[in-house]
Amino acid sequence: MPDLNQAGLTITPGTWLYRLPWIGLGIGLAGMAGSAVLAQGHLQEFLHAWLVAFLFFLSIALGGLFFVLVLFATKAGWGVSIRRLAENAMATLPIFALLFLPIAWGAGQLFSWWEGPGEDALLALKEPYLNAGFFLARAAAYFIVWSAIALWFASRSARQDDSGQHSITRRLQAASGPCLILYAFTVTFASIDWIMALDPHWYSTMFGVYFFSGCLVGIFAFLVLVMGILQEAGYVGQVIHKGHYHNLGMLLYAFMVFWAYIAFSQYFLIWYANIPEETIWYLHRMHGTWSNLSLILAVGHFGVPFFFLMSRVIKEKPRLLMAGAAWMLLMHLADIYWLVMPNVYAHGPHFGILDVAALAAVGGVFMGAFGWALRRRALIPVKDPRLPESLQLDHA
Amino acid sequence: MTQTIEDNARYDPVDGRAPLILGGHDFKSLTEAVARPLESKTPPGWWVVFGISLSLLTVFGISIGWLFWEGTGIWGLNNPVGWGFAIVNFVFWVGIGHAGTLISAILFLFRQKWRTSINRSAEAMTIFAVMCALTFPGIHIGRPWVAYWMFPLPNQMGTWPNFRSPLLWDVFAVSVYGGVSFLFWYVGMIPDLATIRDRAPTKLRRMIYGLFALGWRGSMRHWQHYEKMYLLLAAMATPLVLSVHSIVSMDFAVSQLPGWHTTIFPPYFVAGAVFSGFAMVMTLMLITRSVFQMKHIVTTRHLDNMSKIMLVTGSIVGYAYAIEFFMAWFSGNPYERFVFLNRALGPYAWAYWIMVTCNVVSPQLFWFRKCRTSVPILFVLSIVVNIGMWFERYVIVVTSLHRDFLPSSWGYYVPSFWDISTLIGSFGLFFTMFCLFVRFLPTVATAEVKTVLPEADPHFPGDERVIERSDLAPDGGIS
Repeated sequence: MPDLNQAGLTITPGTWLYRLPWIGLGIGLAGMAGSAVLAQGHLQEFLHAWLVAFLFFLSIALGGLFFVLVLFATKAGWGVSIRRLAENAMATLPIFALLFLPIAWGAGQLFSWWEGPGEDALLALKEPYLNAGFFLARAAAYFIVWSAIALWFASRSARQDDSGQHSITRRLQAASGPCLILYAFTVTFASIDWIMALDPHWYSTMFGVYFFSGCLVGIFAFLVLVMGILQEAGYVGQVIHKGHYHNLGMLLYAFMVFWAYIAFSQYFLIWYANIPEETIWYLHRMHGTWSNLSLILAVGHFGVPFFFLMSRVIKEKPRLLMAGAAWMLLMHLADIYWLVMPNVYAHGPHFGILDVAALAAVGGVFMGAFGWALRRRALIPVKDPRLPESLQLDHA
Repeated sequence: MTQTIEDNARYDPVDGRAPLILGGHDFKSLTEAVARPLESKTPPGWWVVFGISLSLLTVFGISIGWLFWEGTGIWGLNNPVGWGFAIVNFVFWVGIGHAGTLISAILFLFRQKWRTSINRSAEAMTIFAVMCALTFPGIHIGRPWVAYWMFPLPNQMGTWPNFRSPLLWDVFAVSVYGGVSFLFWYVGMIPDLATIRDRAPTKLRRMIYGLFALGWRGSMRHWQHYEKMYLLLAAMATPLVLSVHSIVSMDFAVSQLPGWHTTIFPPYFVAGAVFSGFAMVMTLMLITRSVFQMKHIVTTRHLDNMSKIMLVTGSIVGYAYAIEFFMAWFSGNPYERFVFLNRALGPYAWAYWIMVTCNVVSPQLFWFRKCRTSVPILFVLSIVVNIGMWFERYVIVVTSLHRDFLPSSWGYYVPSFWDISTLIGSFGLFFTMFCLFVRFLPTVATAEVKTVLPEADPHFPGDERVIERSDLAPDGGIS
């Protein structure tokens, strides 16, 4: 068992990782300033770009929340030494309530139903759900639920760093099940509210699962990258080893395939039944150069990584796995872009400086909050009773 | 004898995970315990169960014979419900099989060592369930003597099945599934068949088991190939867990019928299949472990874990019901809205609420450890869940059809006597096969279970993780 005092388990003051909160905040503020300037006269485009950035980083944080809950629910031992990193990702969730403010403010530019159904008979039927007041109330409820669960789990886990009490683990295990049920419904309805309602006539029962599968691709890719970066900076050298990379790589692979399964099923069933009110959503995504992005998603989010990440050799080499993870994050971003943007650019993707600014703004704040969480506590749950099992992870 | 608390894989410091195999077994006694049902005199209890199963199988035979003689008119099918018990039973039985594949493939990849005690019988169950399932499309095609036309066989008439029909995809999906499951089951059994061969008291027995043991000698090289093959088969069977019931769900979901056409069907069917399959494994294991005295091999911990999987999959099914209902409203489509309201409040409301009670409400009892470890509760719940899952398919098939777009053609489907006798008879086929299995084949993957015994750990016996029971505090933690 490695000596936990020597393992580089806290961020050293003075390094760039220690300054990550300020670096992140700087990037975030620069992004916001840039967005503010660029949004002049392009308010609608800006809001959509912001929504993409918001959903992209939110999905990583939500993936982290799920991963932590599942580790507790399954009493998993192997993942303990990487759990703290996922905890730090989910601990950023309260910040997203602030990052949501531009969306709440500019919802009229995003959602055609915001001002009321007007002449639209279908929207009139949906008005009890799709109206401004209820929309905002639901958003508040999501953030309260997510933040409460995330902060409670993170703070208990941190408290265990001092006391090492087993009772903390037991309480978190007991709470994880009900929390997962809350999670399933909040994430589903959030994806309905923030993505599906962009095209308010369209509906698909699969949609919540689709967004959820993206969240998991996001968090596993993110964790691989963070682990790799930390180890290259000299941290957690002895406590995270190739077994953890292999396991995370397998999970990334599994949920990448799961995403493809869900995406294909949704597309296929709609294509086959060929009901106009459903196919229209895909028609938008096959119109003009959007069809190229659709194809890129099929090949890049599934085809290429299906073969690249299949081999165990690659999953056990941090550098190669990191390359795969970075690619998956890029594809995940493309997926979110593909979900949101046809709403504003009808003829094809239009990725420009406005999108970069929004990504910098949201991503900077996210990275800052993540970096802050990272340096506040040890990088692994040092007194988790199952830590020894994770440290000895010798995969079969 | 001191009991050692050792997970063999790892000892858990928080909950003190119970050992996988109880009763201080060593390699020899384990073999003895598994081989006993095969080698001892047939217990009278077995004859009773086998007799009942065989009677039911006869009912199945008679029902099918009468069907072939008289035609599908003996069933309750009519307009507008043209799909009734046959497809419901087909989907039900295919679903049952899924637990076996999940246990043998996915739990294997997840390194869940507790699977070793139950995987053999779960896989056997899969194969028998697939046999039952395949009967129904076979007998429903109207001209069973040309059942092979279901396969795209080249012929001089140039007639082909419709490749765009999900029913043809079913033929491929289920036959591949049955084939791979059988291979998986058989490959996993080879070392154990060799053990039975080596213990055989008579020459005939030695020859028969020897034939199927394929000359297994247990050499290092044999094991090496075997382990690799098992891993590859597990990886190949994993997509099948998802694909088979996804394709079965497409029988409905590719249509334009409200209640059938909904995009969540594939994963929702898969979760339901695993749910019902685990319920069936539970029913069978509770009987088997008590009849053949295997409570130390299939322990409370196994039952506990299986209940948790039922809780998870049951909750996923509940999620799907909720989302379907919400989305039917959210669609604003009057037909969608009608179908779902009609399910919950219409003439088939009784079936709908049986489904919800059995599938969503009853598994919530599994939140409580007391319910997860009590044999009577588990036995009742496992049957309740299977009733619920059968009704789920009934609700989906019948309620979506019985009130179609034209109110003048609305109807109420009632199964006939022969519908019910065929369903009950299919259980005869299933249990007859299972009875033969537990009597003539090793019901527990002995070779695999041995690997989770403490002695199999490379660090045994000098391992500090072996903790005496006396070291455990009453709450399960270490004192």
